[in-house]
Amino acid sequence: MNIEEFDVLIVGAGLSGLRAGLELSKKWNAAVISKVFPVRSHSGAAQGGINAALGNLEEGKEDTPKSHAFDTVKGSDYLADQDVVMFMCEEAPKIVIEFESMGAPFSRLESGLIAQRPFGGAGFPRTCYAGDRTGHALLHTLNEQSVRNGLTFFDEYFLVDLFIAEGKIAGLIALDIAKGELVSFRSPYIILATGGFGRIFKYSTNAVINTGDGVGAAFRAGVPMQDVEFVQFHPTTLYGTNILITEGARGEGGYLFNSKSERFMKNTAPKAMELAPRDIVARAIETEVIEGRGFEDAYVHLDLTHLGAERIKERLPGIREISIYFAGVDPIEQPILVQPGQHYSMGGIGTKFNGDYGETDLSGLYTIGECSCLSVHGANRLGGNSLLETAVFGRYLGRTLLKKGLPKKSSSSDIKAAEEKTIDKIEKLFKKWDQNSGKKPVDVRNEMGETLNRYVGVYRQKDDLEKANNVLKRLQKDFLSVHVSTEDRRFNYGLLRNLELRSMIDIAEATALSSLWRKESRGAHFRTDYPIRNDDEYLVHTMVYRNKDGLKIKTKPVKLGIFAVKERKY
Amino acid sequence: MVEQQKFLVYRNSGNGDIHYDRFEIPVSKGMSVLDALFYIQDHYDSMLAFRYACRGAICGSCGIIIDKVPLLACRTQVSTVKTAKKPINLPEFRFGDHPDWNQETEILIEPLPNMTILKDLVVDMKPFWKFYKEIEPFFNRKWNDIAPESTQSPSQMKKIERLVYCILCGLCWACPVSIKNPNYLGPAQLAKAERFISDSRISKEKQKTIVSCILREDAVPACEKYFVCNRVCPKGVMPGTAIKNLRYEWMDK
Repeated sequence: MNIEEFDVLIVGAGLSGLRAGLELSKKWNAAVISKVFPVRSHSGAAQGGINAALGNLEEGKEDTPKSHAFDTVKGSDYLADQDVVMFMCEEAPKIVIEFESMGAPFSRLESGLIAQRPFGGAGFPRTCYAGDRTGHALLHTLNEQSVRNGLTFFDEYFLVDLFIAEGKIAGLIALDIAKGELVSFRSPYIILATGGFGRIFKYSTNAVINTGDGVGAAFRAGVPMQDVEFVQFHPTTLYGTNILITEGARGEGGYLFNSKSERFMKNTAPKAMELAPRDIVARAIETEVIEGRGFEDAYVHLDLTHLGAERIKERLPGIREISIYFAGVDPIEQPILVQPGQHYSMGGIGTKFNGDYGETDLSGLYTIGECSCLSVHGANRLGGNSLLETAVFGRYLGRTLLKKGLPKKSSSSDIKAAEEKTIDKIEKLFKKWDQNSGKKPVDVRNEMGETLNRYVGVYRQKDDLEKANNVLKRLQKDFLSVHVSTEDRRFNYGLLRNLELRSMIDIAEATALSSLWRKESRGAHFRTDYPIRNDDEYLVHTMVYRNKDGLKIKTKPVKLGIFAVKERKY
Repeated sequence: MVEQQKFLVYRNSGNGDIHYDRFEIPVSKGMSVLDALFYIQDHYDSMLAFRYACRGAICGSCGIIIDKVPLLACRTQVSTVKTAKKPINLPEFRFGDHPDWNQETEILIEPLPNMTILKDLVVDMKPFWKFYKEIEPFFNRKWNDIAPESTQSPSQMKKIERLVYCILCGLCWACPVSIKNPNYLGPAQLAKAERFISDSRISKEKQKTIVSCILREDAVPACEKYFVCNRVCPKGVMPGTAIKNLRYEWMDK
């Protein structure tokens, strides 16, 4: 077996992982492990932009990091940890300027400064952008800087499991996808930056690779999942494929119409209209469809035609391309057909109360980006804050660990024992999957996705959630007997996707359970049987653990104290 | 009745066994060729190997050859493969014998050309990344996080906009020069060079380094102006035009 040793390992080569890696590799022997080539990461699909109170526009002159933080906390329905939000928003202008110094191709104002556009839930136009392909621009920029700095990569290596020695993280076992061999990566520090896990839902804007590999691995190592009931449904995903249609389309002035040609947002957010936060717009669309004012009982219209060809071509070329190729609609001439779809996971790997940002309760294990729950988005994320989160905390965590220094390693005999035990377990699992004669993985995956969409969607209630919990418990059993051929392991994507499913099904189960547990409506979590926010009982983070009897819920306090908790209105 | 579609798929075990497999799958509305490949993997053969990630034409993973045309599998609708207008004057791509391919009814799936095939539709991207790195595609300014940012006018930004859209998918390696010269840097790589060379913010010194790289024998001078790259690029990057501009700007003067 191959053994690699590093001072620090980063799993995931999206913006979070790359930014952390760039910082850590300045002084330490660092490596980034990713199941895809870095530029294939899902950060590249982010469209709209990255928030920072730069005040480059006249209308944004009064903007401040504190104002950005307030909008973020209010947008989170007061569940975000306020100290972490404040830190992120103070770092925001620095991070955007740093990206520019690395060569990021931002769109520009006539003054030559970085352009900014209005986004949902924001008091000022503070979303910096590169056309409607901001994530792509930033991901390529960080990849370029990684080439410049000679960052070490293990491309097409899949994280299977973590291992622990003497109560501390000691390394991970990865599958070399090309060779099909297990490799041990030993390291006293591991940073999980594996991105979102929207693929637990059937209808999602997420990449096919967004399967929560890090969340699953951490959970199997005893680290809880935090706030996973908070799932952002993006209001405007393309009907049919659920590919993202950026909020920037509404930021640029797009309107939402129902089948009665009404701009229905006037009923729920008369002031903010189409630029109300995502949870509110998603619910408004879902309501139109449920009450029969949608089209084909499935979608509404996002109309950009009044913006004119020139503005669409200049500001939203990617959206135009997506509409034409994936739906046969040119938004210059016709409205785009849109419906809400799973988009972002506010929850993720649980973090330590009062720890460093991104620190978990497992010594040496850290997490950043969408897979983590720090929590800067609380119950609902504002558009333009996810790209921001990745780079801010990537840089922060890199600097923090360098300052902390390398920890004392566990004894090499203990590491070796833990490593061998983990590998043995994985080999047994592969063998079992090969010998099994149960369901096909696709059947379990589809039923999981359909169950979450049907019962744990935009609107939730007790009976549905109980059904979801029951189905998922059964699917856990079904999963034990799925059959996958593992004889030839080279580029065995069937095996890989079953490893992904292994994590997803845990996350799906935790999502259904915490959604049932939280008897209130807050941000993206809306219970029709408990439509009011209940701060007395539920202004807490949900922490899901597994013990031998099944899943268990504990809570963690929310860090308040900067902004008073108020009713959230737009 | 659900409509069925036949696929003839190139298979390569990586151990010398090369053949084509035939699959028939039910077609749903809006189904992409990538969806079809997943259907085959999920239902018929979990060992079928192909790369994928975003399924939204932004990550660049799923470039393959469909009915002899280099395309992104995710952006190609099954229902329009047979009717879509094909780019003209493409080189002939040959991977193996398929004398029984029914061109009218069967969709032929093959890997990207001019790269070593590792398994089925998975090709070795190492040379692609190696040449990408060779042009040193990055800004070498010192990182700075103190306002204000360096400025760039909208028109200066426009000059590089088309070029930054490159997703590094490798479709442009269908270039006839890549067929005969394995050392040719490649259209995507040269377009990337142009992206940096023509960025108003780049230092003269850094610009010079990249220019000296693209003037190498196996770089801009090797281009034979077929413009296949322009015709197959899924993002409108027009690498061939970038190479033409580089030649005009730096060679012919």
